[in-house]
Amino acid sequence: MKTNSIFSFRRLYLLLRRQLLSNASAWLIAFGAVAGSLLVLSLLVAYFQPANLAALTGLYFTVMFIGGYIFTSNIFGELHHAQRSYQYLTLPVSTTERLFSAWIITAIVFPVIAVLSMALIVLIANLVMNFTFDVTPFQSVFSKGSWTSVKVYMVTQSVFLLGAAYFRKNNFLKTVLALFVVSVIFQIVIVTTAYFVFSPFAEEGAFNIGPQHMSQQMENVFLTHVPATARVIFWYLTIPFFLIVTWFSLKERQV
Amino acid sequence: MVQIENLSFGYTRKQTLFDRLALELVPGNIYGLLGRNGAGKTTLLKVIAGLVFPRQGTSKVSGIESGVRAPEVLADICFIPEEYHLPPIRIERYVSLNAPFYSRFDHEKLAWLMKEFQLDLSHKLHQLSFGQKKKFLLAFGLSTSSRLLLMDEPTNGLDIPSKSQFRRVIAASLTEEQSVVISTHQVRDLESLIDPVIIIDEGRIIFQQDVNSITSALAFETIPEIKENRQPLYYEEALGGYASILPNVQDKDTRMDLELLFNGVIANTKGINQAFKS
Repeated sequence: MKTNSIFSFRRLYLLLRRQLLSNASAWLIAFGAVAGSLLVLSLLVAYFQPANLAALTGLYFTVMFIGGYIFTSNIFGELHHAQRSYQYLTLPVSTTERLFSAWIITAIVFPVIAVLSMALIVLIANLVMNFTFDVTPFQSVFSKGSWTSVKVYMVTQSVFLLGAAYFRKNNFLKTVLALFVVSVIFQIVIVTTAYFVFSPFAEEGAFNIGPQHMSQQMENVFLTHVPATARVIFWYLTIPFFLIVTWFSLKERQV
Repeated sequence: MVQIENLSFGYTRKQTLFDRLALELVPGNIYGLLGRNGAGKTTLLKVIAGLVFPRQGTSKVSGIESGVRAPEVLADICFIPEEYHLPPIRIERYVSLNAPFYSRFDHEKLAWLMKEFQLDLSHKLHQLSFGQKKKFLLAFGLSTSSRLLLMDEPTNGLDIPSKSQFRRVIAASLTEEQSVVISTHQVRDLESLIDPVIIIDEGRIIFQQDVNSITSALAFETIPEIKENRQPLYYEEALGGYASILPNVQDKDTRMDLELLFNGVIANTKGINQAFKS
């Protein structure tokens, strides 16, 4: 029987199953500890300041973002472990399946479980402390803003997925450092460009740039096209770009 | 099964471990890969398994480049390293999670091997001793029915009964379709198992012969003294004289001493290889 070298749903399923069940106990302990801490906090808030329970949603999502980034940064732990990497790399699966398995777990399974856990925490906090069901905090977990947060998480975690594949140790911290360095370089480029573009408008050493210095066309570019392009890049190109770079990083990986 | 051509490899740009190395492995053999420390035995196994990539040249398994890590090729390779880490789960779960990747996985063979090695499916992997873990990996590897088994120092950490058990199991469970490459320092442990012998030194294959050819071309004898007119190709002082490798001009039937052969090939590569040409 001829097998597909690039992608097979069966192999992807087997790899997902292997990754989830092999690491289940460690992941559940970590997840349980975080969720438990949030539950205790929510119970205290529900008891002492029940009106503020809905406001905890922001904290839940902050924890989800940070926790998700750390979780994503360690998803290729087997690949970077000297005595485990041989097993991971000789497993009969393709690079594409390795990539998608890690991505599905960190970008889809994780936020789904995180949001459901948030809802459960709110539900328990409500029922245990008030013996009534207030729908407001529950709605805040499933609000439109929450859905946007999940989408932002899915986009930004792809950067950490690349860090997980590329760096061998301290993946989370190194990815954060790399992001910081890239953002500093980006800002330097922007400021330098702005300096040269707008220096003719400088008055006594200070920039006083206003709409009067821009043509209608230029204003249109800066206020309409640039934000629109940035939105397209962020929402539609970030994930594919980082997944492709991660794929190459995995493909080139040696023990 | 395995074709390596013109292989060059080094872990750094300045250092070259293999230089234009060539090797062909055919099914049905248990190759013994011998070499000094740092000669590149483990690295060669890693190249074959696609765990490291050649700087130049090619390494192919079943006609496909190892570095591609094609799933169908990986399903035909079982690599048992010298040092390993197994997850903290029961053997039963490990098997249920990993065996489905191998379409020809033989569960009956695994049951037999587990019984031979006195292992139980309920054992937790992280609670096993080093030797027991090695036995489990060996049992799992043999049960995958992979056509190429790569083993790095498989007898390290095994006690004396386990070493003979290892030899017996390997000899009993291999089919003619399968090839085994065993990289080892423990030549005495595997002397009776290995055939052919490959010796690697300074980045090259300096010796590759099957046992039949070796015992036809060379005589392994302990001689009382070294005579001018019958200089051995190699000799070492031993109890009762000199353990020697001599050209087998009289067609004597002697037993191959793998350790002596290894030392002889390292010390007198040209002389010993010459004996196979005459």
